[in-house]
Amino acid sequence: MNRKAAAFILGLALALIAGGAFWWWWQGKGNHVRLGPEPAESAGPTEKVSVELYFPADEGLRTEKRDLDVTASRKDRIRKIVAALLAGPVSGGAARPFPEGVMLGGVQLGEDGTAYLDIRWEGHADPPASGSTEEMQRVYSVVDSLTANIPEVKQVVLLWNGVQRETFSGHLDTSRPLLPNRTLLTP
Amino acid sequence: MKDRRFPGFLALTLLVLPLLLAAQIPRPEAPAAAVLDGRELPLPVAINPAGPAFGLSALVNNLGGTLAPGATAESASLTLEGKEVVIGIGSAIITVGDSVVPLSQPVVRGEGGTLMVPVDFLRKTYGDVLGYSFDWRPESQRLVIGRRAARELPVLLDVVHLQGMTTVVLQFPEEPRYQIKRRTGAVDVQMLGDRLAPPPRHPVQDPFVQDVTITPEQVHIQVGAGLDVASYVLNNPFRIVFDVHQPSAVETPAAPMAPGVPSGGPPGIHTIVVDPGHGGTETGAIGPSGVMEKDLTLLLARELESRLSSRLGVRVVLTRGEDATLPLDDRAAIANQNKADLFISIHLNSSLGTGAHGAETYFLSAEASDAKAAKAAAAENAPAAVAPPPGDTKEEVKDLELILWDLAQSRHLSESQRFATLIQTELNEALQLRDRGVKQAPFIVLKGAEMPAVLVELGFISNPDEEKKLQDAAYRGALVDSLTKAVGRYKEQVEARPAPAAPAPAGNPGNAAPQPVGAVPHQPTPAPPQATPKPNPGHRP
Repeated sequence: MNRKAAAFILGLALALIAGGAFWWWWQGKGNHVRLGPEPAESAGPTEKVSVELYFPADEGLRTEKRDLDVTASRKDRIRKIVAALLAGPVSGGAARPFPEGVMLGGVQLGEDGTAYLDIRWEGHADPPASGSTEEMQRVYSVVDSLTANIPEVKQVVLLWNGVQRETFSGHLDTSRPLLPNRTLLTP
Repeated sequence: MKDRRFPGFLALTLLVLPLLLAAQIPRPEAPAAAVLDGRELPLPVAINPAGPAFGLSALVNNLGGTLAPGATAESASLTLEGKEVVIGIGSAIITVGDSVVPLSQPVVRGEGGTLMVPVDFLRKTYGDVLGYSFDWRPESQRLVIGRRAARELPVLLDVVHLQGMTTVVLQFPEEPRYQIKRRTGAVDVQMLGDRLAPPPRHPVQDPFVQDVTITPEQVHIQVGAGLDVASYVLNNPFRIVFDVHQPSAVETPAAPMAPGVPSGGPPGIHTIVVDPGHGGTETGAIGPSGVMEKDLTLLLARELESRLSSRLGVRVVLTRGEDATLPLDDRAAIANQNKADLFISIHLNSSLGTGAHGAETYFLSAEASDAKAAKAAAAENAPAAVAPPPGDTKEEVKDLELILWDLAQSRHLSESQRFATLIQTELNEALQLRDRGVKQAPFIVLKGAEMPAVLVELGFISNPDEEKKLQDAAYRGALVDSLTKAVGRYKEQVEARPAPAAPAPAGNPGNAAPQPVGAVPHQPTPAPPQATPKPNPGHRP
């Protein structure tokens, strides 16, 4: 093969690669919607608010104070509070309400004060098996923390991986909105 | 050589690249559109990883409805024929009326701020409310919108007066498109697109409901002056239910019903249903050494069955006698079917915190037994389809039974509390356990029980010490002994009460056959307010 032929083949290959790369980029660009401004949930000025979070401890829930940066959006507050709960307590003796890897999906706040939270744990069709106290610690950690810190939240509907269940672990009725339960609070 | 070769490469690349691009870039196609009645309508479409999303405003303009900003900046409200759809921007859950509807992808803002919604959003809103169908055809980039033909739906009417309240049930084979209009002294259920096939007309003889008129266009319910009408829906089959009652009648707690006298018979405790918690695929709590709650509750329940029978001479029915999965509703239903005088659900506890120990006894919380809340919950859930047992007739599948399910335990709260207190006292005294007290919680297993019902937590298997003790047969025997004594004391109290003065049909027969484990009990013709199991709401673990 003479040098000219080799140069031609090499040039053609480079052109094909460059063309293919451009095509790939172009197709990818066309397949994605250009979103407008992100939802206002996390937009806007933030303020630091002091909240009381309720973490499972001993036989009930224990209060832990936190300062959270939140926007005026109620949904942002819901998300920040639940994120702090899922991240776990900073004080000793308390526990995180859900296992590591559990995340918060969609959040909705109805005009009647019902907050809808989609608790997600990829790869786990069911919430953790547990006794009734553990189930209540898990559920009311979220319900009590939200209702105590966000006046607009009166009750909470919890979904698991997008589905509203009859019960999380075989005791509590989670097929309906849950009202706060202050009896679980321990000093 | 180098100097001569690279200009060649460059020239070739520049020559070939445009040709390649021209070949690769698809020919411009017609922009995406919606097709409605043969017309093409411009429609913004975004192809996202989770599927296509469509510009909502363009559809609202052509299909109707009102789209408005929501209560907050991150929400919007779509109103269709009086039904509100609350949209959380950025959220994959919407609410349609009272229903929460998870979507395949979040509703987001597209270019120009227009809301982009997935096709399941359209089906759950315009489809379910207004009867449109949506078919996305990606090859042609067309969203084909169809109009569902108007349906003619048969409707069944049931009017029952019970305990100072009249319940009107309209049952349909599938959910109609309708709206409820309220006027003074009347309620109309107006069809939206669908038509009704009225049943043969029968005069209504009821103290609260004067007349019910069904035409193809609507159901007209005429009620007495000054009465309140509450409405809600039940699913499978779809029913619209109206409770007609005196103002505040529903909110007033019903007088407590004594156990053992369901129909005016002699007071006593004749039949007890013992429910071993969890079972089968539902392990319940698991102790540090791997002991499963479901296994220990079964051992405890069998022991309790034996002692109650031998010491108190009562008939005892276990909801499950083996390691089997048993839905929660079915457990109370077995108690109802057997006309039990007491229902005891046995559990073992676990805690996320360390050091939790002791026993506690629960009865249903008032919030969970609140009629309106329970009905709202029923309306929010689309229960899984449950086929009626073979041989059922229409009369046997009583809507009323389903309605009363959520109310069942509310009439027994004070007796349940009394019984729970006796159990807790016995456990504390006999075992010197830490007194965790009598508590209330919205436990689903207690809701449908038509008799005093408790859930007793006999210790924490998450606590290594208690887990070890619970594996000891002698310790379990002591726990069961305490429960037996508590039942005995309660039985004495009940039997010491005077018998009701009014004669009544036969009371507790005490000879009904236990239901097989796992079977959905069927009650052919129960006397109200005996409840049978309602269809399973939602997903079960």
